[in-house]
This record gives sequence, C-alpha cells and structure tokens, in this order.
Amino acid sequence: MARVREAALGLALVAPPIAILLLLIILPAIQALTFSLGLVPSENVTFSSGQHLVRSDIPTLEVYRQLLASPFVIDDLRLTLSVTVLSVIFVAIVGYILALYVRFGNGWLPRIVRSLYLIPMFVPVVIASYAAVTFYVDRGFLASLFWHLGLGYTSPAYKPAGIVITQVWYNIPFAVLMLGSGLDGIEQELIDSAHDVGAGFFSVLWRIILPLNLVPLLIVLTFTFIGVIGSFTIPFLIGPNAPQMIGVAIQAYFSNYNQPQPAVAMAVIVFAIAALAGVLYVWATSRSNRHAVTL
Amino acid sequence: MTANRMPTPVAEREQELAGWTPAGIRLTWFWDVPEFRRALGLLLVLALSAYLLLPLLTLLLWAFADEWRYPSVIPQHFSLKWWDWVFTNGDVGSAARYSFETAPVVTLISAAICLPAAYSFSRFRFPGRRALFISLLAANAFPKIGLYVAIATLFFRLDLMGTFWGVVLIQLVGTLVLMVWIPAAGFDAVARELEEAARDAGAGPLRVFWSITLPLAMPAIIVACFLAFLAAFDEAQGTLIVGSPTIVTMPVLMYTLVVNYPEPVGAIFSILLSAPSIVLLLLARRFLLAGYLAAGFKGR
Repeated sequence: MARVREAALGLALVAPPIAILLLLIILPAIQALTFSLGLVPSENVTFSSGQHLVRSDIPTLEVYRQLLASPFVIDDLRLTLSVTVLSVIFVAIVGYILALYVRFGNGWLPRIVRSLYLIPMFVPVVIASYAAVTFYVDRGFLASLFWHLGLGYTSPAYKPAGIVITQVWYNIPFAVLMLGSGLDGIEQELIDSAHDVGAGFFSVLWRIILPLNLVPLLIVLTFTFIGVIGSFTIPFLIGPNAPQMIGVAIQAYFSNYNQPQPAVAMAVIVFAIAALAGVLYVWATSRSNRHAVTL
Repeated sequence: MTANRMPTPVAEREQELAGWTPAGIRLTWFWDVPEFRRALGLLLVLALSAYLLLPLLTLLLWAFADEWRYPSVIPQHFSLKWWDWVFTNGDVGSAARYSFETAPVVTLISAAICLPAAYSFSRFRFPGRRALFISLLAANAFPKIGLYVAIATLFFRLDLMGTFWGVVLIQLVGTLVLMVWIPAAGFDAVARELEEAARDAGAGPLRVFWSITLPLAMPAIIVACFLAFLAAFDEAQGTLIVGSPTIVTMPVLMYTLVVNYPEPVGAIFSILLSAPSIVLLLLARRFLLAGYLAAGFKGR
C-alpha cells in the first residue's frame, strides 16, 4: 500500500514538467514526423499550403527519398556532420587539456584559467557568434593584428572553419566543468602510487586518468554532438551560404522557400542522428551508475 | 614526475608505450624539464586568453568606435554617439523590458514545477522513473526550428501567439532539463543519515525537508536557477516565432540590429545584453566550480 502511494505521489510530482514536454515537444515532434511521411493535416494551414507537398493516405518515405536525391541536401548533410564531428573532437581535446591543467597545475596561472574558461557560458549565443564574426572577418581585428605581425591572413568567417571555431568557443565551459569534475573524483593516492612505481605523467594519463574518466568524456561528446548538430545561430551568423548546416537549411526551407515538409523531414533526420548520440549517453551513464552506489 | 627515479620493469614498459624514438629519446622529454613545463603552461594560458577574450574585446572596442578601418588595431575615432542612439531608441528599451520580465518569470515557474519533480526523481520509486527522467533530454535533442510550426499552430488555437504567456511557455521548455537534472543530483547528494537523525529527533517529514534537505540541496538549485535564467534570457528562435511582432526580447532584436545597423550598434547592444550574465557569472562561479552542474548530467 505504501509503495502504491509512493508511486502515485512520485508520478504526480513529475507530471507538470512531463506534461509541458509532451505538449510542446513530443506531440509537435510526432506531428512533424507524420507530416514528413506524407500525412498532411488539413487543419494546419502552414503545413497544407506549403510548396512541393507530398500527399498520401498511407505513410510514405517519398519526402525523404526526394530530399536525399538532392545534391544540395546531401552537401548540407555532409557539412553538418563534418562540422559536428570536428567540433566535438576539438571540444574534447581542448576541454581535456584545460581540465587537466586546472586539476594538476599549481600556482596562479591555473587559478586564472579556472575563471577564464567559464566566460563563454555567460555570453548569449547570438553575441558569441557576432563577436566571432567581427573578430575573424576579412579586414577585421584579427586580420589587423596579422598585418602588423607581417603575416598573411585567410579569414575563417563564412566558412565551415568559422563554425567550428565558434562552436568550440561556446562549448568549452560545459566540457571543462564536466571533465574537471570527473578528474576531481580520481583519488590522488592512485596517481601517487603510480608515480611511485615510476610511471611518468603521460602513462598515468593514458593508463589511469583516461580510463577512469571515460564516462564524463562520453557525456561531453554526446552533449556537444547534440548541441552542434541541430544548432542554428552560430552557423547562421558565421557559416557559409552554401552548403549550409541543416539547422540553417531548415529555417530557409520554412521561411524562404515555403516548403515546410522537407523542413520537418530534415528536422526528423537531425533528431534521429541526435537520438543515436543520446543512446550512447544512456548506455554509458547507466553502465557506470550500476556500478556506483544506487541512491 | 621526475626522471631520476629508479627504472622498474613497469616503468620501462610504460616508457616504451609513451613513445621512445629509436634514438632513445622519449617524445615527451620536454615534460621532464620544469622550465619547459612552465613555459608550456604560460603559452597555453596566453593562447586560451586570446581565443576566449579577443572576440569579446573586439566588440568592446567597436562599442566606443565611430570609425575603425583595417589595418588599425584600434579604432581611428572614438565616440559615444551610438550609445545615445541605442538609449534613445524605443525598440531597445522595450526589448530590455520584455527580456527582464520574461526571463525571471520563466525561472520562477520552472523552479515551481521542476523542483518538486526533481525531488520526486531523487526520492520516490515509481514506474517509468528512469525513462521519464531521460526523456526530458528530448527537449534539447530535437531541432527546435523543426517543431515551431507545429507549436505555432497549437498556440494559435490556444490564443497564445504574440502574448507574454506564450513567450514564457516557449522559453520554459528549454529550462526543463536544467531545472530537473541538476537539483535532482543535489537532492541525491544529501546524506540520508542527516534526514534520519532529524526524524529520530522528532521532526516531521516537512520539517526535515525544510530544515535539512532543502538547505543542503540549495547550491545545486541555485546553479539550476542561474542556468535556467540564462537559457530563457538567451532564447531567440522560439521567442521570435511565438512573440513577434508584439513581444520582441533583446536576443531577438539582436538579429535585426546585427543585420541592419553599423557595427557599433550591435556591439553596444551586446554589452548591454551580456551585462546581467556577467553579474551572474561572478555570483555563480563558486557553485559552478563545485561540480553541481556536472553531477546533474551524470545520469542515473
């Protein structure tokens, strides 16, 4: 009886946020999915008045077939995936170096870094992108600095490199916080005893720190991946016009081309890829939490 | 750390792995020289500072510039005239007002509905507990732009388009994960012994919650509130679709300003828009570094 009451109370308390999630994410997502399968809702004028509609009474993959047959869309997808993968790799590397430096460094320099790396977390993403554009653009601030140093300058702005640079900038705080908290959990005695048997810094890193800190790393990889692959603002402001990242393409199909159906189909594709990364997160965390003391 | 330890069999194998070159010089030799290590640290800090701060410095300079042409590293002419323009522009004032009205309201509502849920996820057993907890992630995994048409249809039907509460609702979605996951980890971390001791001393369940559990979980809740506020304050895409043309917040206006006005306007606006965040950074820094954010994302 007590168990039933506990379950009822528990469910009642989690109901409000779940209801909002259901109403504003899950149901619209289902509607987007069915619409992308050719089931056009007649009562939704934005959907039913779109150009290039595929209408069907039974679910069909025609929209996806047409999308994937378009060389432009393929280019957009390719750019999205490569920018995402590169951003994730760089965030992981830079984040790890910083987390190690903050954890194991001594003196005033690491103390400065401890405040410095948090800054991007508190800069709205619109501003981060705008700052990056004004800084990296041709004949901008960085170009001027290069000119005074007598160096040639090729601007990364409006190129895929610009997106990666800004994404890494924006994602550093989360990565370092996550990895740093994992590193704090590694016992100092373990590292000391490895040193005592003669292991150098790099073998301690490779043999002890990396394996013990694998789950935080996986979390950083998945969340950065999910964040970058569906991003809009950064690629919109600093990315190239063509090919563009899917987030920007979705927006263009919606508002510029009035083609909501391919737009939602692209959103479904991005979600499917992001969900794969989500599965990795769930797998990694549930594995590690099963070994930990359950609360 | 030092090179002059006795080489042991383990160490030899490790050195092999760490990359001895055929000439017998370890690739990581520089690490064993303290001066190199310190110089490397300094270089790292300098590079990081440049990477993180120079773009922001560019905006700061632009905000006070009247004319700034390549290849000068500082503006040719400084001026405050664009500040006048920004402060006397009615759009900017109303955008600031809307931003500072919506974001705190979103944070409060989010806390009111998510904190009980976080407590429930932490303490109660119920069917679907883990699945529901993880499902909150969907709010961040589905590209929002793909949902906004469906959401807009719904909002039209509910008469929420272009209204304050419509904007609050759309901004609320992005705060759910933060406001449930981080406080849930905070509640997890409260030692049960303390609660049981209080109960043994005769405190009722509510008393235990208010005087033991909540205060101990408070740092995590504070981090969640800060991040939820920033998420709401930062939200532009949904606010643009749901709120315009009546409710234009600062990030939404920023898109227009960046495209249509000269650099100083965007730069000044950026400074105004970042100011509250920087204040939050100074306030929240201690709690953020204490690992509450990370704990929230460790899953269960």
